[in-house]
Amino acid sequence: MKIGALKEITSGEKRVALTPDSATHLQKLGHECLVEKDAGLAAGFSDAQYIAVGVEISTTAEALTKASDVIVKVRPPSAAEVNRLSSSMTLISFFHPDANEALMELAKSKEASVIAMDMVPRISRAQKMDALSSMANIAGYRAVIEAGNNFGRFFTGQMTAAGKVPPAKVLVIGAGVAGLAAIGTSTSLGAITYAFDVRPEVAEQVESMGAEFVFLDFADEQADGASTGGYAAVSSPEFTAAQLAKFREIAPEMDIVITTALIPNREAPELWTSDMVASMKPGSVIVDLAAEKGGNCKLTVMDERIVTDNGVVIIGYTDFPSRMAAQASTMYASNIRHMIADLTPEKDGVIVHDMEDDVIRGATVVNAGEITFPPPPPKIQAIAAKPKEKAPDKTPEEIRADEIAAFKKQTKNQIMLLAFGAALILLVGSYAPPSFMQHFIVFVLSVFVGFQVIWNVSHSLHTPLMAVTNAISSIIILGALLQIGSTSFIVILLAAISLLLAGINIFGGFLVTKRMLTMFQKS
Amino acid sequence: MEMGFTTTVYVVAIVLFILSLGGLSGQESAKRAVWYGIVGMALAVSVTLLGPGFGLWWLSLILIAAGGLIGYQLASKVGMTQMPELVAGMHALVGLVAVFVGFNTHFELVNIASMDDTAKKMLEGFSALLAKKSNVEINILRVETTLGIWIGAVTFTGSVIAYSKLAGKVTSIATKLPGGHFLNITAAILSLLSVFWYLNAGELLPMIILTTMALFIGYHLIMGIGGADMPVVVSMLNSYSGWAAAAIGFSLGNDLLIVVGALVGSSGAILSYIMCKAMNRSFVRVILGGFGGISGPQMEIEGEQVAIEAEGVASVLNDADSIIIIPGYGMAVAQAQQSVSELVRKLRAQGKNVRFAIHPVAGRLPGHMNVLLAEARVPYDIVMEMDEINDDFPDTDVAIVIGSNDIVNPAAQDDPNSPIAGMPVLECWKAKHVLVSKRGQGTGYSGIENPLFFKENTRMFYGNAKESLDKLLPMID
Repeated sequence: MKIGALKEITSGEKRVALTPDSATHLQKLGHECLVEKDAGLAAGFSDAQYIAVGVEISTTAEALTKASDVIVKVRPPSAAEVNRLSSSMTLISFFHPDANEALMELAKSKEASVIAMDMVPRISRAQKMDALSSMANIAGYRAVIEAGNNFGRFFTGQMTAAGKVPPAKVLVIGAGVAGLAAIGTSTSLGAITYAFDVRPEVAEQVESMGAEFVFLDFADEQADGASTGGYAAVSSPEFTAAQLAKFREIAPEMDIVITTALIPNREAPELWTSDMVASMKPGSVIVDLAAEKGGNCKLTVMDERIVTDNGVVIIGYTDFPSRMAAQASTMYASNIRHMIADLTPEKDGVIVHDMEDDVIRGATVVNAGEITFPPPPPKIQAIAAKPKEKAPDKTPEEIRADEIAAFKKQTKNQIMLLAFGAALILLVGSYAPPSFMQHFIVFVLSVFVGFQVIWNVSHSLHTPLMAVTNAISSIIILGALLQIGSTSFIVILLAAISLLLAGINIFGGFLVTKRMLTMFQKS
Repeated sequence: MEMGFTTTVYVVAIVLFILSLGGLSGQESAKRAVWYGIVGMALAVSVTLLGPGFGLWWLSLILIAAGGLIGYQLASKVGMTQMPELVAGMHALVGLVAVFVGFNTHFELVNIASMDDTAKKMLEGFSALLAKKSNVEINILRVETTLGIWIGAVTFTGSVIAYSKLAGKVTSIATKLPGGHFLNITAAILSLLSVFWYLNAGELLPMIILTTMALFIGYHLIMGIGGADMPVVVSMLNSYSGWAAAAIGFSLGNDLLIVVGALVGSSGAILSYIMCKAMNRSFVRVILGGFGGISGPQMEIEGEQVAIEAEGVASVLNDADSIIIIPGYGMAVAQAQQSVSELVRKLRAQGKNVRFAIHPVAGRLPGHMNVLLAEARVPYDIVMEMDEINDDFPDTDVAIVIGSNDIVNPAAQDDPNSPIAGMPVLECWKAKHVLVSKRGQGTGYSGIENPLFFKENTRMFYGNAKESLDKLLPMID
């Protein structure tokens, strides 16, 4: 199949859906790749780089669409772009199907197929093609960088000859993909980082990245995110109140606030109110990653950087991924490549649009002239494992009690065993003749000695132990030696064979043990 | 020479044997311990040769020397990966000797019974000992002899099958004849009946029936046990060979045999116990074969096995500071221990902390992995036991799993319905990265899916372990 990447037409969009690197991977799957002239230029990929890996360059979008079977791009297509599609063609890009019904209808009338990268279900198997996460990751990183760019101080605290510099305090609200990326970036820059999320189960992840989770004094458990596909659900009014109170309390201390709270298909919740902004120190920075959906701070202006009256900078950019076009393109192209790899199960360059596959089914919004949006719920629901019921830690008294109980049980077992053993020996002793008992006592004692000695053998020497016990169990050769002096021919014959076999065992066993033991070297 | 002198030397030999086993508590003292065993054996054999009632001196010496020569050849050529086969093979020999010696006792008894009193007085050595016995003692002797033969015969066929399974000559899959354990029970009951028959009649026929039944049980029991349970099987046979020697010791009235048999028997029993404990399975269940006790649907595994190439592995390893390697039977099969050792040498030369984590049931023989690594010149002080190292995984950058599966299966802890639930496992998934070298997708011996392979921090390095590592080695620097 021929896969063509269009140049993005949205102004300010610098990303591209195909990189030279992803093209080489696609070629390995048996596909041919095309790219529109200068499509990668803004992201730092020149046409020459594409040509070098065997990608064909098309001068116009029309020519490219005509020559390709699969069109890949980043932003949702324009009506003109959809218009150029013909039947049996597939378009892969972000699509936002719930907001773009007209485009879906148009694609349907063209009998084309559309795979929306933003509809890839959030299940573990699909993570490699989860472009939303890739972009959110970049946005989270870039949010911290933009904040630092507008923040007049160091992130990390320093003790310089000229005096002490306090570390910056960063609050990240919403510990989704973007939030976690922001936390990671912020902590690695040296800031003291706090994070909040309505899903308490992410506290562990937050803390593992070196940030402090802001807990609320709120008894009611929030519904965990697994039932809503890993996204946060709407909170109760009481919870919201508790949350705002907490933010109000810590707002004056924060130097940088990064808000990433989004609820699917809703306006962004207001989490950072104007009075909180007013209470912040001059020079503080707020980066509102929810600006596109109205912002977590109502003062945010989409796509703009504003400064409030008290000198707080509020950044409402929505094009963070595009501001890191090279990285974003690399990641997006790689998401696209994984999607195409799943569409090409035989790696023979033939696209199989398998609507039984959960991931492909979920992402497909138009399939060969038929609208397939919204998809049925995926067969596999949860993305996060259920929080485990942890057994409460035992108190020292309980541990002590357990130990005593275990000790008592052990003592009891031992006494039982001893009593049983003694009874058995007494029983045997009262019937068996003394000559037998003599040997029997020796036997019992040897078993006892054996148990005591063998428990001390190091685990790493178990193989040599087996080899050496093998060698010494050939002591049975004594039996054959005692019997070979017999007058009966058959006895002599059997004894002779026994001598030979036992001889093999003795020499073989000891020798191989010695060989093994000399191999154990200390460093 | 006098009987008293013989006994004294036996005592010395016994002490030496105990020291020899006790010396295996540490790698350094073990090197001395093996000499104790050799000296003990030499003393015991020579004093018996010189002792009272012995004939056919030269023949015996020649036979032992011939056996010794064969043993020497075997022991110097065998590769460390073939140790399980060798050990199983040697158990078979002990079992067979026990059967022969037991039959000899029977023949001697028959001979003596046909003699009159004057002829009995002419006897010397072993037969003289038998001739002096009272009726009760003869009956006890008969029980001891049958016991020795029975255990010896089970050990013999069992070990032959174990050997064939380990050497790949017989399928290592658990196979049973139709009838399963019912056949074993029938055979055991028949054996018991033949013992009573033999006690009453003292004839050869019940003895032969008994032996045949025991041979069958040994064969059928071990055929029904699968590959990864071999550590238990081999230790069990080790134990049996000891008990057989002890039983023969009783019938011969020889304390040295009894002591050594008991030592070996208890040693094997402890090894079996340790192995079973490491699999969280009861001994009986292992012997009866197969996994059981699945109490509900197993947890579904989500995610995907993500493959990685040698380049990726190299860059992960070059960036890591602490590395733990978990070898398993797959490493032995691929003969990859030399490559592993070379990898470790290179990584250690860069100042990285590289260690090995050994699960008690890794491989096909207790302690098998330790011996393989020792052969490949991996210093033993970086080879750790499971309990020593399991807490260190969270602070480890990379865990490398080479050819092991069930011993690193998180389902043992997470999924109460898993057939291996409760088995102690190496918690390698707590490391930052896990690299798994494996031949291909698919389950291990137990047929249980391993969620480890689907974890987010796990990368699968597919291919033959040795070839993969050899491809990787030049990239580490």
